[in-house]
Amino acid sequence: MRGHAFVVAGYIPGNSVFHRMRLGLKAAGLFLVAVMCLASPFVSVAVGFWTTTAALAAVVGAHFAAGLPWGRLWRAVRLMLVFLVLIAAYQWWQHGPAVAWQVIAAIIATVLASNILTATTPVDELLDGLASIVRPLERIGADPERFSLTVALMLRSIPFVIGAFADVRDAARARGLERNLMARSLPVVIATVAYARSTGEALAARGLGEPAIKTVERAYKD
Amino acid sequence: MNEPHPGSSSRPPAAAAPARRRRGWNAMDLSLIAVFAALMAASVAIPGINVGALGVPITLQTMVVSLCGLVLGFSRGTAAVSLYVLLGLIGLPIFSGFRAGPAVLASPSAGYIIGFIFGAAVVGALATLAVRSRWRVVGLFGAALAGGVVIHAFGIAGFMLRGMGLQTAVVTDLAYIPGDIIKNVIAVAIALSLHRAFPDLLVRRRK
Amino acid sequence: MNQAVSPSIVLSGAGVSIESGDPRSPAPKRILSPLSLTLAERRIAVIGANGSGKSTLLRLLNGLVLPTSGTVHVHGRNTRDEGTAVRSMVGFVFTDPLSQLVMPTPLEDVELSLRRMKLGKARRREAAMAVLAGYGLEHLAASSIYELSGGERQLTALATVLAVEPSVLVLDEPSTLLDLRNTKLLMERLAALPQQVIMSTHDLTLAATFERVLVVDDGHIAFDGAPGDAISHYRKLVG
Repeated sequence: MRGHAFVVAGYIPGNSVFHRMRLGLKAAGLFLVAVMCLASPFVSVAVGFWTTTAALAAVVGAHFAAGLPWGRLWRAVRLMLVFLVLIAAYQWWQHGPAVAWQVIAAIIATVLASNILTATTPVDELLDGLASIVRPLERIGADPERFSLTVALMLRSIPFVIGAFADVRDAARARGLERNLMARSLPVVIATVAYARSTGEALAARGLGEPAIKTVERAYKD
Repeated sequence: MNEPHPGSSSRPPAAAAPARRRRGWNAMDLSLIAVFAALMAASVAIPGINVGALGVPITLQTMVVSLCGLVLGFSRGTAAVSLYVLLGLIGLPIFSGFRAGPAVLASPSAGYIIGFIFGAAVVGALATLAVRSRWRVVGLFGAALAGGVVIHAFGIAGFMLRGMGLQTAVVTDLAYIPGDIIKNVIAVAIALSLHRAFPDLLVRRRK
Repeated sequence: MNQAVSPSIVLSGAGVSIESGDPRSPAPKRILSPLSLTLAERRIAVIGANGSGKSTLLRLLNGLVLPTSGTVHVHGRNTRDEGTAVRSMVGFVFTDPLSQLVMPTPLEDVELSLRRMKLGKARRREAAMAVLAGYGLEHLAASSIYELSGGERQLTALATVLAVEPSVLVLDEPSTLLDLRNTKLLMERLAALPQQVIMSTHDLTLAATFERVLVVDDGHIAFDGAPGDAISHYRKLVG
């Protein structure tokens, strides 16, 4: 759906096994990787070491099988690099190199695995997946329709807010207030709240988003 | 939690007054929750702002977390941040660095992301009390700081869960503190301005 | 229209005032003085300066704003007690269609409107396509609302409101953000509608084409009558 253009950034179109795989299966696979990496060290250091290394190798293999580029893999690691180095140093000092490797490999493997899931699943499918998780909660009083409406509202508002940030940055630049955090953010928040209020009003005018939907049905009948 | 709902107001008159008596959130509340969640997501896509002396680009994320609590109060603020975290976890690239998906929970900075939810909750709960007190400005700033403490505590716990030592974790975390204090000051200033611009929006003063 | 009860909209002593919000002067501020009106004509325009109370008057008609004194009835239903029913009879189009269109594409937005009808997913999509086609917008069904022109957006907003077949259509300055050509297009669409149309506008040429024109000034109805007289009254008022 093109309306979600901004948030589709995570998805890389393709026709790999993973692109065609059902979302539930991918989620199960991700869960399996996480459990293997997190639980195996409890058996023994050696089991943890080898299981995690195997999992990491498998995930890296899967990354390329899904047709995802190198850059994507490196970017995921780079964003955590500082922390990874700190963690590795501490673990090495406390428990030796094997444990340090296991801990680092476990983090990288799970992050890459989830990267594959999000890179091979379009946003709409992810949202449908979310909706199907929420649906059973209806019995305990949740309102999936209003939940989906709120999610849709949020997605649709992101481009508006980004646009507001851009406008305000230009305005601040024009007045030489580029480094003024207040001048850069207050107008954005004001515009955002005004927008939220007019959207809320429009929803109310259309009879959407209000809890008492049953009243409408009654009104139609009598 | 008894949240104030947008009721009658000045120009243009606020919507959905009829829903005020019903339980739960009305259309206006849903809209505010959704749009503040979007503000969280958008603040990630905005390049860091270089603020003079610090030399470190400041991202607006923690500021928006505080704002959610300060502006929307406890329940709506928590809902907005939770919605943002939930959508990030199911795979929308809206966490800092455009990261996404459940494995963010496995990454070293996972603590901060979970901490956002509890931070917003604490800010919201305290802000509700603060606006009713005599020391409104100080109270709101205290609320924002308390939320910051919660977020950082979660952040440090997250580092340690991933195998970082306590000292390293605290030192790593400290790097973010000065920026966060500045952002909290600004969040409070923004919240006060919003309160003037939209008198019925914020946690309302006792009449 | 199925609700053929006339007269359609009756305001009896309906006024709006708000708390000042200023603790030092707690006297409520009057937005709209109590007024009694019967709105039965098919085409009614509301003109007046910014901040005169036009928007509040229009919002009274579908219960978005409740009167703080008096009552408003639409087809015999009180906006205070039967707000949801009233809003399903009175469609409302706002000045800025971007705040009105909730979903990322026109098709999804119309589907959202049709949600109340409890159709299946496939039937709902079909019905939504039919609505869009009915207003000549089917080619835009899957476009992002951000890609639409201002005129297309406002026509889409109109379609999503009309999708649930309200018997009254209220429009709050719908042409303010439109250029001349799109204004003309919007007005042609409106003229063809069977619904009762109540619209506020700053465009006096447009107002002149309506059956009845209300001039709102400082929270009062300053004039109520035929368009020619109303407009000359308004011009005098502005000086």
